[in-house]
Amino acid sequence: MGSSSMFWRIERRLLTTNYGRLFVILLALGAGAAVTSALLNLQMDAKKRLTTEFRALGANVIITPRQANNEVSGGATLEEGVLSRLPIVYEGKRVPEVGFLYVIGEVAKSGEAHFEPAVIAGTEGQGLTQVRPGKRTEYVVDLENDPEACEIGAKAAAQFKVRAGDSLQLRNQGNAAKCKVFAVVATGGAEDTQIFTKLKTAQGLANLDGRLSLIQLSVTATPDSVKAFIATLGEQLPGANVSGIKQFAEAEGRIYNRISGLLSSTVLLVLFLTSLCVMAGMSNVAVERKNDVGLMKAIGGSVRRVVRLFLTEAILLGIGGGLIGSAVGIMVSIWLGKAVFGVAAEPRWIVYPVSVTLTVMVSILSAFPLRRLASIRPAYVFRGEE
Amino acid sequence: MFLRLVADSFTRRPRRKILSMAALAMGMAVATAALSVSLDVGDRLAQEFRSLGANLLVTPEADSLPLEIGGVDYRPANAGTYLPEADLGKLKTIFWRFNIMAFAPILEVPVEVGPAKPNVTLIGTWVGHAVPVPDGTSYVTGIDKTNPWWHVEGSWFKEASEQCVVGTEFAKSSGLKIGDTVSVRPNGEVGWRALKVVGILTTGGPEDAAVVTPLAIAQQLAGKPGQYRRLYVSALTKPEDAFARKDPKTMTQAEFDKWYCTPYISSIALQISEELKGTDVRVIRRVAEGEGNVLSRVRTLLWLVTFAALLAAALAVGASAAASVIERRTEIGLMKALGANSGLVGVLLAAEQLLLAIVGGGIGYAVGVVLARVLGERIFGFTPEPKIFVLLIILGLASLITLLGSAFPLRQAARYDPAPILRGE
Repeated sequence: MGSSSMFWRIERRLLTTNYGRLFVILLALGAGAAVTSALLNLQMDAKKRLTTEFRALGANVIITPRQANNEVSGGATLEEGVLSRLPIVYEGKRVPEVGFLYVIGEVAKSGEAHFEPAVIAGTEGQGLTQVRPGKRTEYVVDLENDPEACEIGAKAAAQFKVRAGDSLQLRNQGNAAKCKVFAVVATGGAEDTQIFTKLKTAQGLANLDGRLSLIQLSVTATPDSVKAFIATLGEQLPGANVSGIKQFAEAEGRIYNRISGLLSSTVLLVLFLTSLCVMAGMSNVAVERKNDVGLMKAIGGSVRRVVRLFLTEAILLGIGGGLIGSAVGIMVSIWLGKAVFGVAAEPRWIVYPVSVTLTVMVSILSAFPLRRLASIRPAYVFRGEE
Repeated sequence: MFLRLVADSFTRRPRRKILSMAALAMGMAVATAALSVSLDVGDRLAQEFRSLGANLLVTPEADSLPLEIGGVDYRPANAGTYLPEADLGKLKTIFWRFNIMAFAPILEVPVEVGPAKPNVTLIGTWVGHAVPVPDGTSYVTGIDKTNPWWHVEGSWFKEASEQCVVGTEFAKSSGLKIGDTVSVRPNGEVGWRALKVVGILTTGGPEDAAVVTPLAIAQQLAGKPGQYRRLYVSALTKPEDAFARKDPKTMTQAEFDKWYCTPYISSIALQISEELKGTDVRVIRRVAEGEGNVLSRVRTLLWLVTFAALLAAALAVGASAAASVIERRTEIGLMKALGANSGLVGVLLAAEQLLLAIVGGGIGYAVGVVLARVLGERIFGFTPEPKIFVLLIILGLASLITLLGSAFPLRQAARYDPAPILRGE
């Protein structure tokens, strides 16, 4: 249609008459879009990264027997088979899970006759260092795979005067066992006073074959997602009590909300500033186009048509700035992710359309100054009075 | 004449000036808010992380090995050594005393709860306890501060009263409600002691199956007046860096001084053990490391976001400054036609822009302080204090950016040939 091709011809002229201004407006929109998409992408990534960082806190889910787990030996225990029924992976991340059996036994350094009571924790499963974070002050890798290997807490090591490589004698209720220390661990918690042996050793000492006191898991996920994990697992294990460790869950949730709020409010502020920037450019456009609009009206262009012309211009600018800026922003966020979290942020494709749409909306809103053009009276403009 | 021209330009087209001033003020308001929030929030964030719980554990140095499983010590009350409660005020005299946010001593006693419920753990501790500090003041602290995730339905017990708080599991299994009375006695003894239940405690830990009382009651039950067995300390620390991980024993004197005077968790631990004799102060690694990792990440993120906001503000202010110069092409043309040289025109416009920047920056600062308040309260739950320092930065920034923003169109204006502009081309 003739009028449509005319429309686009005028449109092209509008966009290309002043390259300097086109550049400034595109730069503003592009920069706004870039910051928006970078922050949005970082926001989605931050949650995931922080869940990983928070796992330095150790286990966040604990499975205990149904009855109150108050008494130790002879108290309620779990069946060892539960351990193999747990999911190994949750939301694409491996779940470290370790079963513990606690025995209050008597311990002495090998070759010595004086025994002292200590907590012996039999462990079984993958990821002891993840569920029980600490610092291994001594560590002999070669000994770790020994069938009689054990690890000793720093405080217990000082008490029994043992180092990595030494052997320990363990006994309880007439049962006896031996183990070889491969590491000394400092956690700052109760673990510092415990001795970590293979599960079989502890079970033998306590006469509790195939039993566990509890299982600790470290699930890498957001607080809500961990809650869902606990609920599902609770249903699958009717005989056990699955609960989250409240100490860390609450603080984690609060910190997520703070960061999320910070990033979203910055995105809002940046979009607002972008629209200020574009508005400044557009008000220039309005001044410059008085004559053009006057002419259009004088030769019979309706107000609606004129407005449509400028709206199309704003949308085109928004799309152009948005497409380029958002792409740049996503690239920048990959690099920023590396700077902040040490791991490159994953680009989320959903961010791209969202950020382009936001930019187009901002661009349309910032075309507000052009509304002045609608009220132009051609005769006055041509006389140079308006 | 110069001043009249500047004044005229403001009075003759007030709407234009108000518009560009508004843009400038908005941009600077955002910059102010971003700066004030991030300047204040670093410390607040560190405090936020204290909700993770205590990061230092103090135990007697020469002690039999605690038989602790799931937070409960299974040693009999007469085994092992104890620490004096009277020393605790000294915690607030160490070099980094203001970084000690809270502390709470713990004394556990295995008790029998009447009728016939043996082997219940009774935990004695402080809640809202005023600790006398050697300098004559007192400091109020307790387990409610060190372990903020402990929720009490009802209320905490009062110090120096026959009250207690019971764990939720224990309450359920013995059918206790707030207002009931429980009688307790140490395992194997005769006399009962009646305590009024004033609250139900939920911790998600072993305390859910315990009875919690004021420390004094636990001391009397255990026959250990004025003593405790474990102390939890919550300290504000600087995340550990490579320097902090060095062994203080291998440091030179200068390095040691620097380490000692930096609030690393390890140096605070050393200072506490110097003050409290006969103790072993251990870093609760999972809390200290988790906190350190996340805190340093979040700090970087915060500065990044501030930078992004500042950048956007600079762009907006620069663009509006550029726009206000472009608008006045005709005027510039006229001035030049009347014989003004480019330099004079430039100085005139720059003076105008500076005036605009200072007034707009000032207004922006005022608006930004309010915005920072709103953001601070909504996101971080605190109000950032307005700082004069930020005002100076903002005014400087506003002047710099408006000048830079106008410089480009001004340079173009210098090249204008007056005739075509005046003809409207």
